[in-house]
Amino acid sequence: MPKPPFIVKDLIKDTETITRGLSQLGYVADEELATILFLMLRLGKPLLLEGHPGVGKTEVANVLAAYLNTDIIRLQCYEGLDVNSAVYEWNYQKQLLSIKIQEATDKTEAEKEAHIFGEEFLLKRPLLQSITQPKRAPVLLIDEIDRADEEFEAFLLELLSAFQISIPELGTIKAVHRPLVVLTSNRTRELSDALKRRCLYHWVHFPDEGKERRIVQKHLPDIEEQLLTRVIRAVQAIRQQKLEKTPGIAETLDWVQGLQALGFKELTEEAMAKSLGCLLKSAKDIERVKAEGLEALTEP
Amino acid sequence: MSERPHVSSYASITEAVIGFAHLLRQEGWTVGVQETQDALVAASNGTLDKPDTFKYALKAIFCINKEESERFEPFFERFWGKRKGAVKSRITYKNQSNIQRKSPGSLVWMGQGKNEEESREEGKNVSGANKIERLRQTDFSKVEEMDSELLEELALQLWKQMSLRMKRRLKASARQGKIDLRQTIRASIRFGGDPLDLRRRRRIPRRQRLAILLDVSGSMDKYSFFLLRFIWTLRAHFEQVEAFIFSTNLVRITDYLDSKDLGRTLALLTARAHNWSSGTKIGMCLQQFNEHYAKQVLSGSSTVIVLSDGLDTGEPELLAGELARIKQRTRRLIWLNPLKGMQGYEPIAKGMSAALPEIDVFNSAHNLNSLLELENYLTHV
Repeated sequence: MPKPPFIVKDLIKDTETITRGLSQLGYVADEELATILFLMLRLGKPLLLEGHPGVGKTEVANVLAAYLNTDIIRLQCYEGLDVNSAVYEWNYQKQLLSIKIQEATDKTEAEKEAHIFGEEFLLKRPLLQSITQPKRAPVLLIDEIDRADEEFEAFLLELLSAFQISIPELGTIKAVHRPLVVLTSNRTRELSDALKRRCLYHWVHFPDEGKERRIVQKHLPDIEEQLLTRVIRAVQAIRQQKLEKTPGIAETLDWVQGLQALGFKELTEEAMAKSLGCLLKSAKDIERVKAEGLEALTEP
Repeated sequence: MSERPHVSSYASITEAVIGFAHLLRQEGWTVGVQETQDALVAASNGTLDKPDTFKYALKAIFCINKEESERFEPFFERFWGKRKGAVKSRITYKNQSNIQRKSPGSLVWMGQGKNEEESREEGKNVSGANKIERLRQTDFSKVEEMDSELLEELALQLWKQMSLRMKRRLKASARQGKIDLRQTIRASIRFGGDPLDLRRRRRIPRRQRLAILLDVSGSMDKYSFFLLRFIWTLRAHFEQVEAFIFSTNLVRITDYLDSKDLGRTLALLTARAHNWSSGTKIGMCLQQFNEHYAKQVLSGSSTVIVLSDGLDTGEPELLAGELARIKQRTRRLIWLNPLKGMQGYEPIAKGMSAALPEIDVFNSAHNLNSLLELENYLTHV
C-alpha cells in the first residue's frame, strides 16, 4: 500500500478545526460535512458526494484543496470517457518524429523502441497525474462520475483500491502519495454498489435558510439585511415548487448580485419580475413561478 | 429477537459497533466487515466525544445512497440513544483499551467473520436477482399488486439503461470515418510530408426519428399503464420521439412527455384523454395520423411503432390501407402486440390479420424483456 496522504496533523485535529478552517476560506460547512471530511482524511477513503446540481458539491473539493494547501486535479467525466483521456496517452507525433531523427543513428531496434516509450513521450492525464505528484497528496476531483460509462467506473474501482496504474510499455506506476479522492454525482444514474461501498457517502441537501444566509453573507458581505432575508425566504419557497431546474446556491448568489446591480434595496414584485432570470434558467420555470404569484414570495 | 438491541447491552464499544452493524444488516443494509472496521477506526479517532459527530460518521460509512441515509437516523437513535450518560462514560473508558488493543488477534477474529458474512450476503443477493429475473418475464397484466411498484422501478431503470445504450451506440459509431486525404496531406506539411495527423471525414449521423402510437382502449387497459411509462422514458432520452395515444380518437401527447416529472405527465394525460379505456377504431385513428401528422412527423428514415392488441371494431380494409400509407413514409414499421406473449396466440383477429402484411416487425410487448428487445430493432440499421 502506498503511504497514506501526508497531511499536517494540526489541520485534522477534530471536526471543529475543520469547520473553522473552511469558514476562514469562505466556505460554510455544517457539522455533518465537517465530520465526513474529518473521517475521509483520517481513514484515507474516497468521498462520494451526491446531490442535485448546484448544491456545491464540486466546491467541497476546491475548498478542501485550499484548506490543505495542496493542488487540485480535476477529471470531468462524460459519456464515452476512456482511458486515453483519463489516464495516459502516448505522444504519437513526438514518437514518429523521434523515429525519424534516430534513423541515422546506429541504435538497435530495441533501443529505439525503448527510447520512444520512455516517460518523456508519455502524456499524463488527470488520473496518472494525481498519483505521480512528487511533493504531497493532491485532491483528485472526479466530477460527475454518473456521466461516465460503467466500464470506466469499473476501472476507477481498481484504481481506488490499489492506487497504481499499469502501462504495458512502462510497467506499473505506484502512487507516490495517495491522492485525496472526491467523487461527485448528480445521480442521473445509480452508481455500482461496489464503488459506493468503497467510499464514504454524503448526500448534499439544498442548504436550509440559516445556512444559505451565512453562505450569501460570506460571499457578499455588503448586502442589506432586509434584502438578504427576503431573498433567502423567496428562494427557499421557490425550491419547494416543482421546477425543471431547481435553483442552486450559485443561482441565489447571481440573483442577489443581479438585484444589487439593478439598484434594488428590497425585494419588490417589480424587482422580482425583472430579475427572475438570474435565478431560474428556463422559460417554463419562470412562467410557472409567476403563475404561482409573486406577491406571496415578496411579502415581508 | 424479542427486545430491540441497544448499546447498553454490550460490554464494549467494539461489540456495540459490531452489534449495530448486525442490526443494520437485518434491516437490509449491505454492511460488510470493511464497513464495520472503518466504523471502529472512526470511533477510535475521537468521533465518539459528541453524539452528532458519531452519528454523521457512521452514516457516511454505512450508507451508500440517499434513501439509506434518510432512513439511518432513527436506527441510530434507537440503538445509541437515551440512557446516554451512564453508558457513555463506560464506553469511552472501555473504548480506549479496546481499540488500542486492536492486535492481530482481533483482526483474525474479524477475518473469520468475513466468510460467514460474505456467504450470507451472496445468498441474499441471489434471491434478489431471481426475483428481478422473474419480474422481467412476468406479463404486465398478471403482476401482483405487491410487485407492481418494484416492477415499475425496475422498468424505469432498465429502460433508462437501454435508451442510454442506444444513444451511446449512435455516438460511438459516428466517431469513425473515412480518412480525408486532402486534409491529411495538408496537415502533414508541417511534419515534413509524413501523414502524422490523420484527418477523417465523418458522416454526420442522421437522427433517427421515432413515432409511437399507443392504443389506450379498454382491452389494452392493463398494459397501457406500463407502456406509457416506457414511452416516457424513451422520450426522456431521445429528442426525436413523437408520441400519440388512440382509441376512438388520436391524441398527440409529445408535449406532455416533456415534463421531467412522470406523475405530472400522467396527470396531464388523464385530464386530456377523455376517450381513455373505451372502444377501438385503429383504422380511423391511423387515418387521422396520416392526415394531420404524418407529413411533419415522419421522414424516410423514421421508425414507427404501434403498440396495440389489434382488436379493432372498425373496417379492416381501412386499417390495412392506412398502414400501407404509413409504410411508404417510413423505414420500418413495428407492431408490438401484448397478446402475442400469450401461449397459443394467433393473429387471427380481423384487424390484426389485415395489418400483418404491412408490418416489418411483429413482436410481443407483454413483459419487460420483450420491450427491451426493441433495442435491437432500433439500433440495427
